[in-house]
Amino acid sequence: MVDLSGRELATEIIESCRSGDRDAFRALYDLYKDRVYSISLHFFHGDPAVASDVTQQVFLKLMTSIRQFRGDAEFSTWLYRLVVNVCMDAARQRKAEATTSDPSRMEAFAVRGSQEEDYARTQMANSVRAAVSALPPKFRIAVLLRYFDDLSYEQMAQALHCSMGTVASRLSRGHKILAERLRGAIGIKG
Amino acid sequence: MFTRHISRQLAAHLDGELAPPKAQQAEIHLRQCARCRAESEQVRQGMQIVEHLPLVEPPEAIWRSIEAALEARRPRQAQPFIRWRWAAVATAMLALSGAAYWRLAQPPGAQWEVLRLAGSPSVAGKAIRGAGRIGAGEWIETDARSRATVKVGEIGSVEIAPGTRVRVVTERPSEHRLALARGEIRATISAPPKLFFVDTAAGTAVDLGCEYALSADERGFGLLRVTKGWVSFQWKGVESLVPAGASCRTQPQAGPGIPYFDDAPESLKQALESFGFEKGGYDALGAILSESRVRDTLTLWHLLSRVEPSDRGRVFDRMAALTPVPAGVSREQALKLDSGTLQRWREELAWTW
Amino acid sequence: MLRLVIAVCAACAIAVLARAEEFTFTIGSPVAAQDFRAKVAAFVFRTQGCPDPAKSQIGATAEGLVKGVRRSVALNVQAMSKPGVYAVYQTWPAEGQWVVSLKGTCGEANAGAIVPIGPKGFIRESAKFFPRAATQVEIEASLKALSQSENKGENK
Repeated sequence: MVDLSGRELATEIIESCRSGDRDAFRALYDLYKDRVYSISLHFFHGDPAVASDVTQQVFLKLMTSIRQFRGDAEFSTWLYRLVVNVCMDAARQRKAEATTSDPSRMEAFAVRGSQEEDYARTQMANSVRAAVSALPPKFRIAVLLRYFDDLSYEQMAQALHCSMGTVASRLSRGHKILAERLRGAIGIKG
Repeated sequence: MFTRHISRQLAAHLDGELAPPKAQQAEIHLRQCARCRAESEQVRQGMQIVEHLPLVEPPEAIWRSIEAALEARRPRQAQPFIRWRWAAVATAMLALSGAAYWRLAQPPGAQWEVLRLAGSPSVAGKAIRGAGRIGAGEWIETDARSRATVKVGEIGSVEIAPGTRVRVVTERPSEHRLALARGEIRATISAPPKLFFVDTAAGTAVDLGCEYALSADERGFGLLRVTKGWVSFQWKGVESLVPAGASCRTQPQAGPGIPYFDDAPESLKQALESFGFEKGGYDALGAILSESRVRDTLTLWHLLSRVEPSDRGRVFDRMAALTPVPAGVSREQALKLDSGTLQRWREELAWTW
Repeated sequence: MLRLVIAVCAACAIAVLARAEEFTFTIGSPVAAQDFRAKVAAFVFRTQGCPDPAKSQIGATAEGLVKGVRRSVALNVQAMSKPGVYAVYQTWPAEGQWVVSLKGTCGEANAGAIVPIGPKGFIRESAKFFPRAATQVEIEASLKALSQSENKGENK
């Protein structure tokens, strides 16, 4: 009879994924899919095809490399390191930083509310995404990681392979650029 | 003290990520430096701006593509078998009827029992009236008014919904595989992981079950112990739900026993042993009831349908004393073993297991 | 006298109404979720007393002590198929002592809970529930109690 000792339960979901438990992997996928996809989507200028590819790559790498997760870092930090690597690799491969002037490539967001509210919200989201897309990749990924997963600076430093000071610097500069670019669009005064 | 501008620390300051001494220094600096104050406001505005980005749910197709990719990477032990099988069928069509040749060429294995639930399901092209059997390579088909159940070896059953066409691919003890051409099936499997598969045009459903240990002696008496998730163990209408941390004895021609938590009092476990699979004695039941804790309502809930009708009230009363009976569950209906009542009660009790 | 009676009746009515609308958490093992996705969850929980569970706001963090260093990990609770039922998966490190702090809002009502995690899983008997989010003091106290009980070997 198998008798699980104390520590084994602590990484149960990871162990289950390691042993090929598809239910466990699906559960893990469900936990993180929205954020991984959203980060990818907004990183790649709202292009759903690229975002889908990146999301798929991230989770495939996750599943095939999960044996390497040693448990000495939080799982989400390890996952987002994968996200950063895949996004940055894909960006380098694509090279050309597409502008957001091609509305046909933009993801359509379903927003509830009145027609006017829908329109306003969609326009705002599009403006913000355009501005985020125009950020240098290192600033862009830092801004998206912080917003979508609320990682601590320590976790972000691990995910981004840099120091906490660099994380702070990228976030400061990235957010400042966004405010400067969208000052008129969102009615910021001063 | 920050004597230079703190542009690069502004986000950390706003996010509360600066260590207290530095945070204090930043505060002091901001009070004195208009430029950094203005930039801090910009960073703050930038953070607000990003909040307009929506969280977007990915299309389900991504998961399907991930599954397909993972499946493609798996070593397909069955593939040579399938390729061989199609080759054998092709050969058989030239010489003999394909199904007969294929079945002769297969290693011997038990056929699966098929029960008609409604209408006229057919197996291998022939309608079945009550019960039938299905072997590897054969199709079971239901029309709009038919339903059937396939007993999948010794590991569970598959209910075939109306308008369904499904084929048994493999019926080996180490691999139970169906192929669903169309329609709907519902599988209830009590087995170790990766024993039950359903192939479809879009991919393969793999039942991974849960983590549990199952032992049996030469006579077939055994013990199921679940360490992860839960297992529904069923036999001819008798079902035991065994969650993680619980065990259940099994017996040939009697199915699952009454589950109990492994940390239950020894006296309760011994009484349960005495009670056994028969509707046991008064003393054993009394001990089970008196020794049971709130968590042991797992045992008591199963006991309700296993004791003599005259004893059901005692079991109900003990359960009601341990944990409040939920709304919609009446003593009268519970003692009648009304399935809806028992289901509702179990769903509520599960919060204490 | 009449005014006193009316005041008492009003107070009773308010108390009854308050109790009827009490927003709370209940915790359970994965089987309680009746959802296959919960099979590998650390534990599941549900909200009660919320008229529209789909509109409740739920959050969770894992609060831990790893080699004497205080850690905090934001968790993503997974909604299950039944409204108001959620699964918590262990995505915090294996080492150290950990508790999970749950918090939720339903309209104006709040609820909180601290669920200690032991070597064999969540420790139901030691879980604490509040009509608001748990305070840091309460979290620290739970961590301390958990650490002490593990040192005594009580949770093995």
